[in-house]
Amino acid sequence: MAPKPITSPVPDSWYPTLSVSMLAIGLVITASFFIYEATSSKRNRSLAKELTTGALASFFLGFGSLFLLLASGIYV
Amino acid sequence: MGFWFRLNLLLFAIAILSTPVLSDLILSKVDRLIDLTSQIARITSTLKVKNAGSGLVSEVLLAFLEFQANNLAYLMATTNEGKGKIKNSGVSLPIEVANPKGMPPALSVYSVSLPKALGEGDTLTLDVLAVFTHALKPFPEKITQADIQLAVFQDSAYYLSPYAVKVQSLSVKLPDARIESFTKIENTKTHGSEIKYGPYENLPPFSYSPVVVHFETNQPFAVAQEYERLKFHIGATYRSQNITILNMKVLKVRVNFPELLFEPRYPIFGGWRTAFTIGYSLPLQDFLFESEGKRFLNISFASPMNELVIDNLIVKVVLPEGSRDLSVSTPFPVKQRQETKISLLDVVGRPVVVLEKANVVPEHNQHFQSFNKLAMLREPFMLISGFFFLFVACIIYVHVDLSISKSSASYLAKQQWDEVQATIQQVESIIKQCLAIHENLEASLRDHSRTGDVQACKTTRKTADGLLKEHSKELKPLLAFLQSSPAAAHILPKVEELVAKERELQERLMAKHSTIVDCYEKKLGGWEIENRVAPQQQKVVALRQEVEDLLDYIDEI
Repeated sequence: MAPKPITSPVPDSWYPTLSVSMLAIGLVITASFFIYEATSSKRNRSLAKELTTGALASFFLGFGSLFLLLASGIYV
Repeated sequence: MGFWFRLNLLLFAIAILSTPVLSDLILSKVDRLIDLTSQIARITSTLKVKNAGSGLVSEVLLAFLEFQANNLAYLMATTNEGKGKIKNSGVSLPIEVANPKGMPPALSVYSVSLPKALGEGDTLTLDVLAVFTHALKPFPEKITQADIQLAVFQDSAYYLSPYAVKVQSLSVKLPDARIESFTKIENTKTHGSEIKYGPYENLPPFSYSPVVVHFETNQPFAVAQEYERLKFHIGATYRSQNITILNMKVLKVRVNFPELLFEPRYPIFGGWRTAFTIGYSLPLQDFLFESEGKRFLNISFASPMNELVIDNLIVKVVLPEGSRDLSVSTPFPVKQRQETKISLLDVVGRPVVVLEKANVVPEHNQHFQSFNKLAMLREPFMLISGFFFLFVACIIYVHVDLSISKSSASYLAKQQWDEVQATIQQVESIIKQCLAIHENLEASLRDHSRTGDVQACKTTRKTADGLLKEHSKELKPLLAFLQSSPAAAHILPKVEELVAKERELQERLMAKHSTIVDCYEKKLGGWEIENRVAPQQQKVVALRQEVEDLLDYIDEI
């Protein structure tokens, strides 16, 4: 079988755009997480909401920072 | 120098007299071209091999003097099936070191395996390319900067072979400059910068006639003593770095194939050295391929620099983390081993395949392959889990009670205040919901003025009524708690006021709503409705404003 060339699953030209947008979304979710932490009192807090917000924020921040590293030339 | 040659000649004379004929091959025509235009000596021999015996012959032996064989960097033999001028379809034949019996000493013998055995009377054309490093010796060894550089090269005018040669000729190609001296034997001619020896006929096996050529060459002899190539195979692109210690040679820049031109900071004369590093990135799809679930990397082995001799070449291929089943195949033998390298965002380290080879010339710049499999999403997961860990730490910090003394007055007071705050927040949310219901009511009135549907208004009012009753029930225990708690003392009046005002607002709004609905049912005119509703409307607006102010005030505490 003829070998087919491998390319990255995300096109190179998208890296900067993707990194900026993912980081922006991640930071917005982070902000909402901290606002929730600051304004809710001890009894009203719901652990499920905190965890989901944290997980979503870390997902976007993780991918955003990966694309940021790739776009700036540090090919990790 | 002369003595040494004569010694060799003596040895071979003895050898010739005492060696049996090895096989029945005869070389009917041998044309040799020795290219001395650069520091690397390339000898191209075209041999017409004929099987003069009766058996099948499946290999052809090539012999080199031992001192030459030490400098032999690259040996390739191809058969030429095409006729006449079609030279492209040469198939490279496997060559191995051979040790047949009865060979004279001080000879290195290589055996070329033929693709199909040569039968009786058959002929075959073989093209042999032998590349030698360090074969040109500067002579004199030390000169001043103004002198010209002369080099000396030794070889044999007769083709050294275990077989008899019928007709042979040798052509030595020198750089376009002065020829200082060369050995003159019979049939020697010069044509410009080429020396032709031959044709010589009917020579026995192992014939040898030393020739020495002393000539001027203006080529720098760039030798890399240690050359390390580091190839990072990374998720998206492929990066290579070279670290070398050598003399510098300048290259030109061309358009289609990227070529790099660089110059050292100082001109490098003979015996001087410098060290530098080059790094570059290449797009991945030219080199990395996938087939049957494995990936393989197809890259060139040696240096891309022009005419560089490398004494010791180390190639390290760094593969992504998690690669398994590594294997390397090269067209020539190399020493291989594996290491681990820890790099950015690595947990275990990346596997590195290290290949070492001595005495490398540009002919070695061929592709080699390495295979591996890997998992690609490791890095994003590492980053994501890193961030998530931060968030979890935040959550734990907020949830965990870190105070040292759990019975001090200030701690207790703080706790009570926390509870009061929680209650007030709940009260606030309930009141906000009530306000939303008011909005619904007003919206239904506006809808009615559009659609004229009285029933809808009534149903909206009923549901609103029910919800508001529920909310006031919820408010009761919260208010009770606030009344009982001492910490809420200063805020309690405001909260009570808020609740009272909201209730009043409810009543007024309900009254207004029913009035308007009645009017619609009785089909009274617009201005009548306005009249009846006006006083209530004013109060409603005022109350609403007060409620919102109170909410803001409570928020700020």
